[in-house]
Amino acid sequence: MIERAVDEDGKLTLTLHVNGRSRRVKARAHHTLLQVLRDNLQLFGAREGCGVGMCGSCTVLLDEKPVSSCLLLAPLAEGKDILTIEGLASPGGELHAIQQAYIDHTAFQCSYCTPGFILTTWALLHEKPRATPEEAREYLSGNLCRCGSYVKIMEAVMDARDRLAGG
Amino acid sequence: MIAFLQPRSIDEAVAALDHYGEDARPVAGSTALTILLRQGLVQPKALVSLAGLPDMSSVQQENAALRIGALVTHRAIETSPLVREALPALADTFARVANVRVRNAATVGGVLAEADYASDPPTAFLALDAVVEVAGPAGVRSIPIGDFTRGFYETALTSSEIVTHLRVPIPSDGTAGVYEKFVTRSSEDRPCIGVFAAVRLGEDHKSCAELRVAVGAASEVPQRFKDIETLASGNYLDDDVIRTVADGYADRIETLSDLRGSAWYRTEMVRVWVRRAVERARNVAMGIQS
Repeated sequence: MIERAVDEDGKLTLTLHVNGRSRRVKARAHHTLLQVLRDNLQLFGAREGCGVGMCGSCTVLLDEKPVSSCLLLAPLAEGKDILTIEGLASPGGELHAIQQAYIDHTAFQCSYCTPGFILTTWALLHEKPRATPEEAREYLSGNLCRCGSYVKIMEAVMDARDRLAGG
Repeated sequence: MIAFLQPRSIDEAVAALDHYGEDARPVAGSTALTILLRQGLVQPKALVSLAGLPDMSSVQQENAALRIGALVTHRAIETSPLVREALPALADTFARVANVRVRNAATVGGVLAEADYASDPPTAFLALDAVVEVAGPAGVRSIPIGDFTRGFYETALTSSEIVTHLRVPIPSDGTAGVYEKFVTRSSEDRPCIGVFAAVRLGEDHKSCAELRVAVGAASEVPQRFKDIETLASGNYLDDDVIRTVADGYADRIETLSDLRGSAWYRTEMVRVWVRRAVERARNVAMGIQS
């Protein structure tokens, strides 16, 4: 049967692979991944900003690629590896080098946009370990920081690049 | 309640859409549909996921054309070595859409079926004489891009048809294409004006053998005027010829008004950006600009 079963509330049972764990959640067909992460899984790192894919506050990685979780219907995320900011530190709690670089450079003020920036930085450096400042600016241009911490963010990104390269 | 359907074949997808009629919406990357759902602009009874359909997720060269599966993402086209080699201006156009997150999710079939007047790729498709392959209850059909896009968010698709592939002919050797995008708000915004221009020079490597110009975001559907394009044929693409072409497009397009620019402003921007696009295409063809 190609039509997914629903329970008495009209909800589907979805199996999502989030931060290395398999999670079963109940959601309606039109619920977004962002809603499921926050409302079902209590993962609050992905945040709603604009709600139309322009600000990057809700960025998560889907099979290592950044996407706007506010625009992704939750059922479409099944079968993919979902990484949120909560899954970036090591299991022992040691921060990822990118997270540490953002802290060391104080690359935020209110920090609402920071999880999205960090995950996008991860994807950038995964794709281009030697990204130039110009490539980094282009890649991150879809993430908005309303506090205007862009200079510090760029410092953190370039420093994270060097740290990950062992430099 | 909205049902969620996951067909495994084109036939199953078409049958599901046919069953629900106007009450079903096909969904692939969901970047556009989610916004419509959240704003209540569509209230379907069923969502038909196209994600599981086979043979629609790759770009292949077939004879002198690229055949692009409808599920190929914008980002995949932007970074495809095959597209970069055969149609670099098409890859560049996709690279200018929104931001990397949207490009990772939004598909070729989606941007065609949505038919948003301010999307970037359809302007390139029009200039490149692309053909849309569609599957429906009566089988498959091929629709030239100019006939596919009918109007404001309106296409030739019936409610039980889906886009399966897009065929883009590869232009003759020596054709230089460019996409110029004028945005009035942020860099990742949809354009106020988008212009795709392509120039092929004659054997003297100075005069114009072929000019193509398509303008998007200015009116309900992308516009291309072959009679104006041919004004350039055989001529040097000097300031006078380019201005004649740009004025022709500015005078003929019935521009619309939205938050990115009034109709009057758009007309003047068509004049400017057609000129700039043709100049750059000419310079790329002559090897004096990248």
